[in-house]
Amino acid sequence: MSYFTLTRRHVLMGMAAAATLPSVSFGQSGTPISGGTLKISHSTRIATLNVLSLSGPAEYPCIDMLYSGLTRTGLDNQPHPDLATSWEANEDATEFTFYLRDGVTFHDGTPFTSADVVATFEAILNPDIASSARSVLTMVDKIEAVDDLTVKFILSAPFADLPYSTSHANARILSKAALEGDLSALDTTANGTGPFKLETYDSARIVRLVKNENYYKPGQPYLDAVEMMLFPDLAAETANFLSGTTDVMLTVQQAAYARIAESAGIEAQRVSSGRYVCIVMRQDQEPWSDVRVRQALGLAIDRQLLVDIILEGLGRPAYDSIVAPEIEYYTDKPEIMYDPEGAKALLAEAGYPDGIKATIVASDRPAIRAQTAIALQQTAAAAGFDLEIKTMPHDTYLAEEWMKGDFYIGYWGMQPTIDATYNLLLTSEASYQDTEWKNAEFDSLVAEGRATIDPAKRAEIYAKAQELELADKPYIVPFFEDVLTASSEATKEWKIAPISRFYFVEDVWLDKA
Amino acid sequence: MPRALKSPTGLIGTVLLLIVFTAALFGPLIAPYDPQLFHVQARLQGPSREFWLGTDQYGRDLLSRLLNGAPATVLFGLGATVLGVGAGSIIGVIAGVAGGRTDSIVMRILDGMLAMPELLFTLLIVSFLGGGTAQAMLAVAVTFTPGMARISRSAVLSVRTREYVLAAQARGESQAWIVGREVLPNAVAPIIVEATIRVSFAIMIGATLGFLGLGAQPPSTEWGLMVAEARQFMFRNPWCVAVPGLAIAITAMGFNLFGDALRDVFDPKRNH
Repeated sequence: MSYFTLTRRHVLMGMAAAATLPSVSFGQSGTPISGGTLKISHSTRIATLNVLSLSGPAEYPCIDMLYSGLTRTGLDNQPHPDLATSWEANEDATEFTFYLRDGVTFHDGTPFTSADVVATFEAILNPDIASSARSVLTMVDKIEAVDDLTVKFILSAPFADLPYSTSHANARILSKAALEGDLSALDTTANGTGPFKLETYDSARIVRLVKNENYYKPGQPYLDAVEMMLFPDLAAETANFLSGTTDVMLTVQQAAYARIAESAGIEAQRVSSGRYVCIVMRQDQEPWSDVRVRQALGLAIDRQLLVDIILEGLGRPAYDSIVAPEIEYYTDKPEIMYDPEGAKALLAEAGYPDGIKATIVASDRPAIRAQTAIALQQTAAAAGFDLEIKTMPHDTYLAEEWMKGDFYIGYWGMQPTIDATYNLLLTSEASYQDTEWKNAEFDSLVAEGRATIDPAKRAEIYAKAQELELADKPYIVPFFEDVLTASSEATKEWKIAPISRFYFVEDVWLDKA
Repeated sequence: MPRALKSPTGLIGTVLLLIVFTAALFGPLIAPYDPQLFHVQARLQGPSREFWLGTDQYGRDLLSRLLNGAPATVLFGLGATVLGVGAGSIIGVIAGVAGGRTDSIVMRILDGMLAMPELLFTLLIVSFLGGGTAQAMLAVAVTFTPGMARISRSAVLSVRTREYVLAAQARGESQAWIVGREVLPNAVAPIIVEATIRVSFAIMIGATLGFLGLGAQPPSTEWGLMVAEARQFMFRNPWCVAVPGLAIAITAMGFNLFGDALRDVFDPKRNH
């Protein structure tokens, strides 16, 4: 065995799953029937199809249907084979070799080879091209095509999580020809290897995809076509879904979930996820520089109440760590109960016996930010925090407050690994470091974890890092939000991954007798 | 004024306005609860003895929120109208008094502005200035200006050639004196009538902007925002949408009916 335990486990899992991806069954049975058009409703615009840089909630399912990656994140939040059938690493995780699937063609008929993989990753690493996956691939030094169906990644530093990085939702394989042409064409056209081909792209109304007859999974996809239909108005979207005009509601709002789930002939799904709201307290500013003040605010927030009224119970309380239970190497966090008296005592100890007056900024989009601020204002009042809420348009927030202000509400999606989670926000060199926490010990632990191969040792390192995070409380994280979706009874095998970037539409079929 | 009360529309309008102004003046004082206070055990409830108009998604008392939002909502309507009417009247009077070329140029520009639908024009200004109560008020005022300028100009024009004005000119009075003492007092009636009716439009546009997220921001108790925030919960508690919606309708109707009655009073042709 030349590859280490972590990878071996994934390879074995991947092998077993190569024919059909692991699927969570919801009591649906029967042989899939081919044919039909799946209509998916969504409420946010599909503004672009540029796989390198897009980030819209309704754009991800499109590229998941149009393109394939080397690896793909499954419902278990682990990387699985996609265009790479297997992979291996050298002992110190500085060289990874991916073995590619034979006989795959792009939608235009050209064969898929290692040259496309090299061109794609070189484009992702090219600082002149906007690409979202670059931040998780910075350690890649060189990509080599060993032969037509073998690619080697040479890393500048050990990185055990590379197969996770290659399954980044924005790291899908583009054809070499497309990358050599005009890149702006990627916004409206797509030549991928995924289960569906682009037929119509109308960002204001509908995106229609049709079956790729040459998809590498034999007999799949089952559907003839998929239509992504835009409904800017939530009430209209719900009404159309309940009346049967659409088959799938991509995202269901918490407020409407109970009503939709109760409707006859509807299957509503709720997937635990690591999406969270965080309260940012900049530590180079008074009074947030004092850890006791941050702890006091942590005690002054009634987490269960927030889950009940903001998420309608569709989520879990979190205890001030941005690492969700779904992420590998998560450690159990001690519960923090609502304790306004304890918070008052801490504030007094920190030199604020009369409480603290502060202004918390919340952008107006999405509404959950302001909702959290309103609930925080109410529960923290009993602990001596006199908070004023300042809401502002999202663009103003991004330009003037985000990563500059000292007290505001952040909102983040789930990352696939603990390494990606911490390197996004908390290490000193993190992409969006906005707390000025800058803890050298924490930085070195995260760096060590990244370079360590032995899972037991990594678990130990990451446990220490999470302890540091809890002790210093750089963020207050009140809850993790569930991902909510719904489909009609006739829609079989509609699934959604916790990270809500992967949808496996090639497995979906319609039972319309 | 007593004549305004004689017609049924005037009476209804006056009564509605009295209710609205009472709420706006004393609302925050007589509200039974803190408008921001959560009653977690009583979320999204219909009217009850404890909560007269029910509660919203956070369990906040709707009656208290409504009473608290009244001053902001009414002040928004009045403020935007005063600003718009002020600016519009000044422009209109200048154009009317000056006449000739100035008049033509000013009026053609205003015609251009009038060609744009009111709400669209407001949205354009708000998206340019950014959301918020002050910006929304300014936007509504700017939208009102061309219409008001047109009305005040025509009022001035109809007065300008009257005998008393010609007499004043013959006496050799200054232009400013004539405008201030002879023209304006006689042209002010139609402006007041129009302004009263416009308040209802201002309140409605303000509520629309709040509803679209471009006006007041949470946790404000502005009525349009209340409707927007509660819309998601409409199926679970219709009261949380109906209550602020009705309040907006009543206020707008009050100003509208009262304005109609005023017009009847001021319009000499309608007497007898």
